Amino acid sequence: MTRCLAAIGLLLAFAVQAGATFAGGSVTIGYLGLSDDPRYQPDLVYTRIEINPPDDPTFGAKMGVDDLGIIGQAVGMSFTLDFEKAADITGLVDAVRRMVAAGEHFVIVDLPASLLDQVAALTRDQPVTLINATAPDDYLRTRCYPNLLHSAASDRMLADAMVQYLRTQNWTRVLVLYGEEKRDKEIADAFTAAAQRLRLDIADTRQFTLATDPANREQNNAKLITGGADYDLVFLADSFGEFGRYLPYATQLPRPVVGTAGLVASAWHWSADHDSATQVTLRFGRFTNGLRMTGHDWSTWMAAKAIVTSYVKANSEDFKKVDAFMRSNRLRVDGSKGVSMNFRPWDGQLRMPIMLSTSNAVIDVAPLEGFLHQTNVLDTLGTDEPEFKCQ
Amino acid sequence: MTVHPRSLLASAAALILALFLTLPAVAAGTGLIFVSTEKGNEIVVLDKDYTIVKRIPTSRRPRDMHFNAAHTLLYVACGDDDSIDVIDVATLEVVDSIPTGPSPEVFAFTGDESAIYVSDEEDSRVERIDLTSRISTQDIPTGAEPEGILVTPDGKTVYATSEVADMVHVIDPASGAVTKNIVVGTRPRRLILTPDGSELWVSCELSSEIDIIDTKTLEIKDSLTFVPPGFREEDVTPVGMAITRDGSKILLSLGRANHIAIIDAHTHDVLKYVLVGKRAWSIDLSKDEKIAIVANGLSDDITIVDMASMSAVKSLPIGRVPHSVVIDD
Repeated sequence: MTRCLAAIGLLLAFAVQAGATFAGGSVTIGYLGLSDDPRYQPDLVYTRIEINPPDDPTFGAKMGVDDLGIIGQAVGMSFTLDFEKAADITGLVDAVRRMVAAGEHFVIVDLPASLLDQVAALTRDQPVTLINATAPDDYLRTRCYPNLLHSAASDRMLADAMVQYLRTQNWTRVLVLYGEEKRDKEIADAFTAAAQRLRLDIADTRQFTLATDPANREQNNAKLITGGADYDLVFLADSFGEFGRYLPYATQLPRPVVGTAGLVASAWHWSADHDSATQVTLRFGRFTNGLRMTGHDWSTWMAAKAIVTSYVKANSEDFKKVDAFMRSNRLRVDGSKGVSMNFRPWDGQLRMPIMLSTSNAVIDVAPLEGFLHQTNVLDTLGTDEPEFKCQ
Repeated sequence: MTVHPRSLLASAAALILALFLTLPAVAAGTGLIFVSTEKGNEIVVLDKDYTIVKRIPTSRRPRDMHFNAAHTLLYVACGDDDSIDVIDVATLEVVDSIPTGPSPEVFAFTGDESAIYVSDEEDSRVERIDLTSRISTQDIPTGAEPEGILVTPDGKTVYATSEVADMVHVIDPASGAVTKNIVVGTRPRRLILTPDGSELWVSCELSSEIDIIDTKTLEIKDSLTFVPPGFREEDVTPVGMAITRDGSKILLSLGRANHIAIIDAHTHDVLKYVLVGKRAWSIDLSKDEKIAIVANGLSDDITIVDMASMSAVKSLPIGRVPHSVVIDD
């Protein structure tokens, strides 16, 4: 009863407030996904053993709007999400056009890179800002689409975070292994570029295959592919994950594995316990009936928070004003990583710390102590302004 | 059972200490310093010479602490066990535990000490708990991760911050309703009121600023940033505050900048930046205002600051993740 009365009191208070400060209305934020996105299917391996539960990053965006709904009410604005999915590029572009026609000027995009690339190109004339929340691919950052920002960590940011850690540990000789997927080579290349910047030694770079063909055992056998070289650790680029499951503890030399197995760099890990990270993970768990927050969820959450915060702090519903605020250094979004974050002007990438975690603990958070930068230490992660070129 | 001479000595010392503590009606204060340690699950007690005299085991994750007016009891919010433990200042034992909502973080007494307002960090609400009946008599929805709580001396207003929603809620304690929401900087943490009641200072951790709210108009009238030499604005994450009784100086902890700022409360000039430990958060001033003590969460220590010279005197190892400090003087 008390709770009910208090809630009514609160609502009344908001009603009074709304009239007093801002004669605002309702804002709808778009969310564009891919039908049956293969990235979010349950991670089933041989005989259908589930090694990871299915993921649904829409929850992150919902939680972002839910977290900040109250601040919107304080200035007389309400926020809702419009979820659309399509199966192909035509459907996706149509969905964006429909959203814009309905007055939605910010769209959280949850698509694989190749589709996002086309959507951004085909909607660049529209009054809309897309926020890439789940595609880490570096090439999207150098496209320089004027209508595209990124709340997903890029491959290069993840690689720089890992390399800072290896440099700090003085583990400098690296054996790089990558698989046959196109993504594997991209992840390995991002790592190699980061390693060169901090002058790690790449002892060797080798491609593995998934098979037990004896004629090809130098490439498919964990011991053989990690033999015949001396190194401090193995960096593994295995987006499929099957080879990586069996690599730690199976290397020729007793060396740690990092990359897509072992120590992994990501935007978020559920075991983080500093800077109110636990509260975020627990709220997410309640929101999703027990899911553990992943990097994808964190990035959709941040995209929603950046949009709502920009509307509220710009105190406007004018797309141009809100967009300008969002891209300025006046935006300070809290992502529960202990620092405020905003978007880099040169590539539209959200600045953020990166977590380096095992399966159940965050070992360290980059930027690590001692990696300095002339303007913002977060810019030690990812492609920095002087080295950035649109392509 | 063998009795080790040293433990015998310790017991005798404890007994003498206990006798001493119970004698002069505690109004003068014991001079003891209490530090809550979030990961140590204990309150570390130091004497005037900064010697650790006791470690009091509490419920898990002890954080904010307050004495009752008579300083006979110390209340401790314990976030991971959803309780406020009560410590007898004379015996240094936990004598009671008050159940709260999920993850109590910061709390404040009402003027007559009949109730407390506590922020339940994981439940997006502030609740009023009646101390006699132990019943939650008000349940006030807030933005996510409520933290700072302040009850005005006249008892007519309660202020609470929401870290996630970037706002200060103004609560009418008579109705238990939010009467106004004030949008402030990013991640507002703690609150202090100037002695004349005219200004409410809000520390905004991630926008590196202090917002000063005019309590008459309930609008931000000033926004201050404090950046020690050699630091950048984003390194400054202000949290804890303390104010001298005459309202002339405000002490502000700068979090990751590992300093506190001592500020002229009227001109807002920085009188001194004092280097303390890693991630400086809560601050308490001694009653004579000769020293301030700062809890350093990431270096597991506290720093004693001499207020006359405005410099750090010493840092002392305490335990895992010191959160708050209170002095019984």
